[in-house]
Formats: sequence, C-alpha cells, structure tokens
Amino acid sequence: MAQILKDMGITEYEPRVINQMLEFAYRYVTTILEDAKIYSSHAKKSSVDADDVRLAIQCRTDQSFTSPPPRDFLLDIARQKNQTPLPLIKPYSGPRLPPDRYCLTAPNYRLKSLQKKVSSSAGRITVPRLSVGAVSSRPSTPTLGTPSAQTVSVSTKVGTPVSLTGQRFTVQIPSSQAAVKSATPTTPTVQNVLINPSLIGPKNILITTNMVSSQNTSNESNPLKRKHEDDDDYDNL
Amino acid sequence: MSAYNQQGDPTLYEEYYSGLKHFIECSLDCHRAELSQLFYPLFVHMYLELVYNQHESEAKSFFERFHGDQECYYQDDLRVLSSLTKKEHMKGNETMLDFRTSKFVLRISRDSYQLLKRHLQEKQNNQIWNIVQEHLYIDIFDGMPRSKQQIDAMVGSLAGEAKREANKAKVFFGLLKEPEFDVPLDDEDEEGENEEGKPKKKKPKKDSVGSKSKKQDPNAPPQNRIPLPELKDSDKLDKVMNMKEAARRVRLGPECLPSICFYTFLNAYQGLTAVDITDDSSMIVGGFADSTVRVWSVTPKKLRSVKTAADLSLIDKESDDVLERIMDEKTASELKILYGHSGPVYGTSFSPDRNYLLSCSEDGTVRLWSLQTFTCLVGYKGHNYPVWDTQFSPYGYYFVSGGHDRVARLWATDHYQPLRIFAGHLADVTCTRFHPNSNYIATGSADRTIRLWDVLNGNCVRIFTGHKGPIHSLAFSPNGRFLATGATDGRVLLWDIGHGLMVGELKGHTDTIYALRFSRDGEILASGSMDNTVRLWDAVKAFEDLETDDFTTATGHINLPENSQDLLLGTYMTKSTPVVHLHFTRRNLLLAAGAYSSQ
Repeated sequence: MAQILKDMGITEYEPRVINQMLEFAYRYVTTILEDAKIYSSHAKKSSVDADDVRLAIQCRTDQSFTSPPPRDFLLDIARQKNQTPLPLIKPYSGPRLPPDRYCLTAPNYRLKSLQKKVSSSAGRITVPRLSVGAVSSRPSTPTLGTPSAQTVSVSTKVGTPVSLTGQRFTVQIPSSQAAVKSATPTTPTVQNVLINPSLIGPKNILITTNMVSSQNTSNESNPLKRKHEDDDDYDNL
Repeated sequence: MSAYNQQGDPTLYEEYYSGLKHFIECSLDCHRAELSQLFYPLFVHMYLELVYNQHESEAKSFFERFHGDQECYYQDDLRVLSSLTKKEHMKGNETMLDFRTSKFVLRISRDSYQLLKRHLQEKQNNQIWNIVQEHLYIDIFDGMPRSKQQIDAMVGSLAGEAKREANKAKVFFGLLKEPEFDVPLDDEDEEGENEEGKPKKKKPKKDSVGSKSKKQDPNAPPQNRIPLPELKDSDKLDKVMNMKEAARRVRLGPECLPSICFYTFLNAYQGLTAVDITDDSSMIVGGFADSTVRVWSVTPKKLRSVKTAADLSLIDKESDDVLERIMDEKTASELKILYGHSGPVYGTSFSPDRNYLLSCSEDGTVRLWSLQTFTCLVGYKGHNYPVWDTQFSPYGYYFVSGGHDRVARLWATDHYQPLRIFAGHLADVTCTRFHPNSNYIATGSADRTIRLWDVLNGNCVRIFTGHKGPIHSLAFSPNGRFLATGATDGRVLLWDIGHGLMVGELKGHTDTIYALRFSRDGEILASGSMDNTVRLWDAVKAFEDLETDDFTTATGHINLPENSQDLLLGTYMTKSTPVVHLHFTRRNLLLAAGAYSSQ
C-alpha cells in the first residue's frame, strides 16, 4: 500500500491512512468476490470466472462509485437552464426563502392539548415509539414517557442523548386521530406526532402507523409524549 | 466512449512520435518553442488511444520512452496517466473522458504552422497528420512566433490555451452606480471648527461617488441588466456607516503598509476548512471538517438570537429600539455552533446584510442559516457531489456554488433550484467569486483555467489559462477591471478582464495560495499561502503601464516583466499557521485567519 501511495506521488500522509486503505481494499474485494460468486452460481458455472468478476465490478460501480455526469449532458442541461430569463425580484417581501416545503423551517412538533382524562378500566399503556428510516447524525433526546391513565403530564428529559441513526422505532398512532369527530364518550385526544423534520429532512421519514383496534381507542390515554427539542437548546449544550 | 478509432498501426506510434520529435528539434530556433507545444497533447492522446484500443504493452513502452521529455509542469498529469493502463480505468474518470473528447487548443504563428503542415503532409507522415487533425485545434495568428518564456506563461491548462474568440466577447467590468445619499456629518467631524461655541451648521454632505459621474460608464452594465434586490432601510443605514468608515480609511501604498491582525484558530486539529469575515468585520465564521459551522463575534457585542414567539408578542412594537428588544438577552454568547451538515464544510459566506450565512459541504448541499435565530433555513440540493466553494453576491439574494461535478450553479435564496448552470470546465470547480457589479462570476477549476461567466445568459465570456496547478483563490479588484488568481503552483497571476489578457505574474510564494484580497481602494494586493506567509504586493504599480495596443490584443502576446521583486512590499511569516482567509476592514486594516498546525 505504501508503494501505491508513492507511485501516485503522495509523499505526506498519516500512518492511519494505510490502515484505512487496506481496510477499504479488503472490504471492496470481498464484496466483489461475493457478488461474483453469486453471479457464477446463477449462471450454473462450477467456478468463478473472470466475466463474473467483471460483471460484479460493473454493478458495484453504478451503485457506490458514481461519477459526475458527462460533459455533453451537462452542457445540454446548462443550455436549457440558462435560456430562461432571470426571475424578477418582488420588492418588500421580507426574508426571501423558497416555498415552505423546501425549507427546513417547519416546526418539528405539534402541540398537544392538555386534557384531563377520565380514568379508564383497560388503561392500556402503550410505549410510544417512532418508526424512522432516518439517517441523521445529529443527536437527539427522545423522551419516552410512560403516561398514567389520568393525567397527561410531560415527563422530564431523559438524560443520555440517543443518536437517531439507524434505530427503528414503531409508533402506534391510535386511529382515534382519524375518528376524532365520531361520537366518543371520552374527550378526544390529540396525538403527538413525533416528527422532527429539521433533524432528518422531510424525505427521510417513514412513519408506519398501525391502526389500533377501535375498542382501545377511547380508553387510551395519550400515550405519545415527546418533548419538543428546540434548536435553541443546542446552543446551550 | 465513442470514436477513439485506430489511427495507424499501434506498434508504429513510437516511430511517428519520434519522427515528429526529430523534425521539431531540427527546426529553426524561433519556431521550435512553438512547435514544442505539440509534444504534450500528442503524447497524451496517442497514449490514451493505445490504452483504449487495448494495446497495453505498446502503451506501456510508449509511455516509458517519451514521458521524460515533457515539460515539468505536466508531471502531475503524467503521474495520473501512468496509472491508467487499461481501458476500464478510463471509464470512471470524467476528466480524462472530457480531455479525450475536447480538442486541445494550441496557438501557433502562421509561419510555424506552415512549416509543420508542409512536413506532416508528406506521405510518410500521414498518420500523425490525421492524429493532429483529430485531437488538436490549432489557432493560427499572424505575427512573430512566441518565445519559450511567453509560451510557458500561458500554457498549463488541461485543454491547452484559450482560442482567441473565446476572449472576444464584451464584458461590462465597470461598477454599478451607488445610490445617492445625504450623509449627515457627525459632531466629532466638526469638532475642530466650532470651538467658539457657534451654533453648528450641519450641512448634509452629498455622496461624492454618485454626483461625480452623471454619465453612464460605458464599461458598466446597465443598472437593470440583472434583477437586483432593492435597498432596504437597514441596507441604507449600512451604506451610510460604510461611507463614514471610508472617510476614516487609511490610504495604503508602498510607504504606508497596512497593519495585519491575525486570527489564529487554536485546537482545530487540522479541521479548519473554510473561513469568512463579514464586510464590517464584526463576525467570523469557521467551517470545520467535523461538519460544524461556528460563528464568533469579534466585537464586544455578543451574538444574540431572536426571542421565541411567545416573548415576541409581549414587546412593544412601536418603540424605537424594537430591533434590540426582539433579541433575547439570555442567549447572548460569543460563539454559536451550527449543526446540520453531514460532511466537512468547505466554503462559507456571509450575506452583505449580515442576516444570512451560507455554507457548502462535502455532502453535496449548500445550507442557508439565519443569523438571527441561528438555525438552518434551507438546504439547497443540486450538486450531488462535494461542493468546494460558495459565495453570496455583493448585493445579496444571489449566490454561486461550485463543486466536484464540474459546474458552478447560480442560486437565488428563494428558489430551491439553481437559476443558472455554468458548465464548461473539464475538472472540479474549486473556487467561485462574484464580480463587484454582480453581473459576472469567475470560477477557478482543477483543470487550471479560470472562466468568467455572464450571469444574464450563462455564457462563458473569458477563459484564462496560465496556471500550472488547480486554482484555489480568486480576487476581483475593487474597480472591477482586474482579476488576481492564485493556485497550487505558488504564483499569483493578474488578468485584465476587459482585454482578456494576462498582465502580471507575482512570484514569491512557495506553496498553494489560498487567500487573495485587494485593499479597499485597490492599492495593495495581499496574498496568503500554505507556506505560512502573508505577502503584500503593490497593485497600483502592477497595473499601470499596460501595453494594451491593438497588436497585443489581436495576437494575445504578452511580455511580462520580471518585476515580482519590485512589486513585493512585504513578507510576513506566521508561526506554522497556513493562511486561509484575508480581509481588509473598511478602514484598511488587514485581517488574516488560519489554524495553528503544530507540524
């Protein structure tokens, strides 16, 4: 590896670079060879062929090592884009930002109404969890509070920050959210929605809502409590 | 990967090349320098052709034999080329593909060209002639053949030089007219005159810039050529402040050098990747490799964020100091950290009205942050590859970004997609700057050229070649006429935008130049580099006595005087701190920033 670096003309590098490159090389080669093995077995060959390896490399490059678009394509879209005249600027329009859905300014919480719940018999307590296919490197502190049947109190912050990356939580948003208008004896509960778009980005959230069976809806106390993490809090950390 | 078709027998390529080499070396001295320009592009194209057509062994021996003959400034390219031995290697490398498909431009005088043509059209040299015709574009000019020195100054880019007509378009390099203001004089300015206690008569002073030139500067763009945001009241106040400061500005010159104040970032562990300072020098932002953006206040006034909505409804909106009251005292601090990017932050830029901050990063996005709430407002996704540089327009509202995908994009803060795409570079766009009149954008690239683009229609109006390494810094002179560029080769080159010519070369730095800045009135050029020095150059002297007669502009000949030593006004060493950013305050104090690296 050191020889390769020397051949490419790189003279100054930290010693860790060699280890990282070795790791990368090993990982890359094993992935390719595994893919090649699959292709060769699919083609019902007894051993892995050079063609299989070539096919494996080709498929992987399209996936992980994409390269920027070719020049003629760029020139083409540039010509298209540059033909439209520059848009006029509206005067006196305050902060000039794109339409709201392209901004990260949406509130990442929704307020719940403080309702005093009548105690119910089958006070099923569901621990709320959020299903997120999120890729966020920003630490957040989800608070999972176990609600009591009667009161709806906001629990205090749980101490340790939990990274949201790669963790899957499932949320059960009771269907009373939809059926809130139907006549239920108990006061309708507004559910908290545990969405944090400013952290994650609107496209990365997968929220699976499981429909809870109807007899439990009216009995459920508000299970979802998640303290809104204000962005300002991070300045005080 | 279309036609790199076979031109003749691969085994004979070495013969063709050495035949041509022999011919050129035997030609007259005056022609030899010009014809030697052919070596490098022919070498690369022939090598790539052999590789593409899978003649590996011939390619290898061809490379071995001739790579030592090439000019020293092509060594980096040759090293990359030596690793390309198979056809598959060429596939992912966009720069090589672009090089293959674009024609390498050579500028040769008519006499030398006739000589070459006559030789190549002889029957036995037919193959080389075909290759030349296919891959090279020979721009012929009438006049004296150039000397080696002249040629060396201009070559170096990945695509050869610029064709003459590439630099012929009219460029409006003048400045836009400033609006007229009534500047009320301060009490302190009149102190000396009113000792007798006479009632002070405050005469409003008219803005001298506006009243002097009633006529339109022919070189300035019309005021409404591109839509620009109107001036708000806060902008007008800012301009008044600017003019007051300008009155107290120190006039710099060879006798009066600026004082330099250096901001050293400690404990950055080589993570500092971008720095910007506001125009009034009140805030510094640092972009770091750990994907954070940190904003510091360098004045005693701390950074405050706006109060929450609940508190805002309580304040008295009619009071005079409502702008102060909306700020939350509890959040006052000297440092604010902004999280949001998922990769190292390579470029930062304050908006002229100090309300917004832009940052661009390796994750491919450009983020707009509000400096009133210190939160992220928008993420502009367009480049899907690392974005190397971004800058707000001098009037705000527009910003430009350039990245690994070889294009620069012009955005407006209220459009989630770019307004203009500037495509044309052969390699990454590493540096992007607005012209002071906001009508043009300069982009420096890893293909060693600088291009000037027109914002109105996206056309490339100037191509400047001459650097021998990727360009990392650009600076427009305050009068808009000149451009200074710095690259990894350690030279600062000066260009006349109107004529499209190189007018100066400043040698002195020994490492990449990452920061270039003209003083407020354009008298001094400061350059900061990886070699831990800041150098000051006399810009007035560098730009006077320009030989811009017709002959020069027609042929593009330049005769650069070797006056770097005369122009160098001072060299200032830092303690192992590479200089990343330079900024002249409104009173011409030079601020510099860099991260202390203990090596």
